[in-house]
Amino acid sequence: MFYKIKTIILALAAFAGFTSSFAMSSPQSTGIVIQDPWVRSAPSNAPALGAFMKIHNNSNQNVKLISAYAEGYKDVQLHRTIDDGGMMRMVEQEFIPVTAKGKVHLKPGSWHVMLIKPEKVPAKGEVVLITLKFDNGSSQAVKFKVRKGKKMMMHHH
Amino acid sequence: MLKKVLILASVFVVILVVFVNTGNDYKSLAKQLKASHVVYNPDKELPAFSLVDHNNNKFDNQQLEGDWTLLLFIYTHCPDVCPTELANVSMLKANLVNSKAEVVPNVVAITFDPLRDTPELLKDYVAHFDKDFLGVSGDKAQIDKLVDAFGAYYEVVIEKDGKTVVQKSSVELPETAVEDGYFINHTAWIYLLSPDGQIFAGFPTPHNIFDMSSDINLIVENY
Repeated sequence: MFYKIKTIILALAAFAGFTSSFAMSSPQSTGIVIQDPWVRSAPSNAPALGAFMKIHNNSNQNVKLISAYAEGYKDVQLHRTIDDGGMMRMVEQEFIPVTAKGKVHLKPGSWHVMLIKPEKVPAKGEVVLITLKFDNGSSQAVKFKVRKGKKMMMHHH
Repeated sequence: MLKKVLILASVFVVILVVFVNTGNDYKSLAKQLKASHVVYNPDKELPAFSLVDHNNNKFDNQQLEGDWTLLLFIYTHCPDVCPTELANVSMLKANLVNSKAEVVPNVVAITFDPLRDTPELLKDYVAHFDKDFLGVSGDKAQIDKLVDAFGAYYEVVIEKDGKTVVQKSSVELPETAVEDGYFINHTAWIYLLSPDGQIFAGFPTPHNIFDMSSDINLIVENY
């Protein structure tokens, strides 16, 4: 009997642990899910780094990513690279919109989070913790893995 | 009226010159290229220039002679476009090496931003992408002359009284620019120079390294 209760308690604990860790990576309350967050590995003296991800908005409301914060950087900005007839323009954004039930892909040459003046450039394999703040009042701290390029390209190396 | 005729006549001459120059020699080659444009023009040689490479050696026209060269303009404060370009060129080079291409061009990255990009800084920066890439900096006027000759273009984005201001590359930067930080909007072509040190072809964005590889092989074959 005692053994049974112990098993149940353990199972419950495990389940609670599972659900809470699940909730952390994809908050059910806001419906905003971050997929494949990564920072592009850069030279050790790089003055600026790009961070990328897919933002899924599973809610019925349009949301905006309004800011990003990471410790150890002078500034973190939202940007979009625009190819304007061959002229690559870097345009700072007040926000990045994600439509209801939609998604936005932050990737090189497009929307991105810019990490400016790192105290120390993170090495490949390290993790950068970036807190994303949305206009629905929610925010989430996301672990961005430092890697060389898009996932697909990893196989070429 | 006469002015109009003159303008039309000069336009016609320009078209004819372009047609004859690229037409006679490389017209059929140009048609086969997937990712590049032949920009070779024997009447328009690269102007004489003198810059400094990342080992503090002189870098002028002579360094572009003897081998094929891939040349691009970058700046190290560039968070997105330039790292993408440099990563692409490093993959392009690896692809040429792995496919045992006849020619693997040297790679030269010239900064748009000599004010912040010293040779020392460029050295560490470009080596991240490939240890054989050569970073080049130097006098702004010399760089601007080259940017012009390549048909490249850049402008500077600064913050002024809380507003974003875009100013031409020729306009002097405010004294606080380095401290405040600035970005550069720029064209992002990658250029292929022939062993006589002249611009032969240009690769506009986006850069597909496999198409670029086959174009380089084709150009080298037909040169």
